[in-house]
Amino acid sequence: MDKTLKFARKKTMGALLLGLLLSSAAMYCQSEAPIPVMTGSVGYFTKVTEGQVQNIPSIDSLLLAPIGDKWLIEAKSDFSHSFGNQQGGGEYGSSSSYGLAYAQVDYIANRYMTVVAGRFIQPFGIYTERLAPNWIRSLQATPLTVPITSGSALGGMLRGGFPLGKTKINFNYAVYYSANNTNHILATDRSTGGRIGFFVPALRLEVGASFEQLLQEDRSHYVGGHLVWQPYSVPLTVRAEVVRSSGFYGNGYWVEGAYRLSQVPQLRRLELVGRAQQFFAAKVSPTASDDVLNTVGKDTNQADFGINYYLRSDLRIATSYGRHFSLNDNSNQWVVGLTYRFVMPLGPKGGSR
Amino acid sequence: MKFRTLNSLALAVLAMLMGLAVASACATTPKKSTPASKASAAGNTAQDDTMRLEGEKRFRANCARCHAAPPKFPPRVMGTIVRHMRVRAMITDEEMRLILHYMTE
Repeated sequence: MDKTLKFARKKTMGALLLGLLLSSAAMYCQSEAPIPVMTGSVGYFTKVTEGQVQNIPSIDSLLLAPIGDKWLIEAKSDFSHSFGNQQGGGEYGSSSSYGLAYAQVDYIANRYMTVVAGRFIQPFGIYTERLAPNWIRSLQATPLTVPITSGSALGGMLRGGFPLGKTKINFNYAVYYSANNTNHILATDRSTGGRIGFFVPALRLEVGASFEQLLQEDRSHYVGGHLVWQPYSVPLTVRAEVVRSSGFYGNGYWVEGAYRLSQVPQLRRLELVGRAQQFFAAKVSPTASDDVLNTVGKDTNQADFGINYYLRSDLRIATSYGRHFSLNDNSNQWVVGLTYRFVMPLGPKGGSR
Repeated sequence: MKFRTLNSLALAVLAMLMGLAVASACATTPKKSTPASKASAAGNTAQDDTMRLEGEKRFRANCARCHAAPPKFPPRVMGTIVRHMRVRAMITDEEMRLILHYMTE
């Protein structure tokens, strides 16, 4: 008798749970709540550096999973494969590179602050955090200043943006602390730092400053400044960044201009880009600098020019030519490629589109 | 005892029906238009237009600083992307709402 009663109770509870599950699932399908999205970009580039040809297919995927109104999980991975002939002809060789750019949990605490935990991109300057994806960057060649700072961090960060009273200036900030991690793929430095920025919407001008203090090895520190300006009168974007370091990483700056020919109907899909940059190697321990930077260990000037053609807003042909000037090492770099940005909803999309 | 079991089952079925009824109630249903609702709709349209224009302005000022304008996505996709960009590009709370409105209208 007791057994029958228990069975009936269990059945009731099961059905109740099923009912709740069904109703919540149905409500989720009908609601306007954000859904998980897989986005990112694929690219294929042919680079010719000092006569050496490299073909580089790449894919970056970014998973965005919102939870409730205040949480967001973000994880981005990169994979690229490079194959080409050895310098001066010869046999073909290939290499792969992959990594986890970030895997972070964001909690939107209030309108002034978001708390971030996990592995994230270090908030220093504008390039690494905002412009690095190949479907965004105007020139595929990475600025010489990028390897100077740590790049990724593992720890916690506070960040946010809000208007400064009635001044019509938006203030944004980010402060972080990172732990040391020696994993060969997920390596991070023990460091702390942050960035502040002031954006004037009336001028479409942003200026800001960044700071990083390394808490290991030579305990060097880095300071940086950035600027983004988009005048209303012409479809021009000017971006610039400067980085100074106290250690053996060197100093540098770059200035970039991108002009979209949107005022000429036949050429509205074209974008002309130019970038000038200088890198000054540190005077101390040039050998260490060479090892760490892996690209430049001596004073270098570089000029790049590019033409981008937007087949669609998410599909772009990117071409560029760069001239690299350094002691006993002047060289040309040509890049031709295609980038495609994808967005894949991982749930019912809602709406009619 | 059979009565109790049947009673439990009936309760369970009722719970499921309630769940589905609540869910279906959330679905938007077309409403009959009355003069008052028409006036209200006109007001809403004007407000929508203002919000859309303001959203476009904010989009150009904030998002276009880094990338070209993407196509418009369905609301639930755009909600996720705008939340990501709120964190990444540190756009303000108000700007996020206006950009979301512009990108989904």
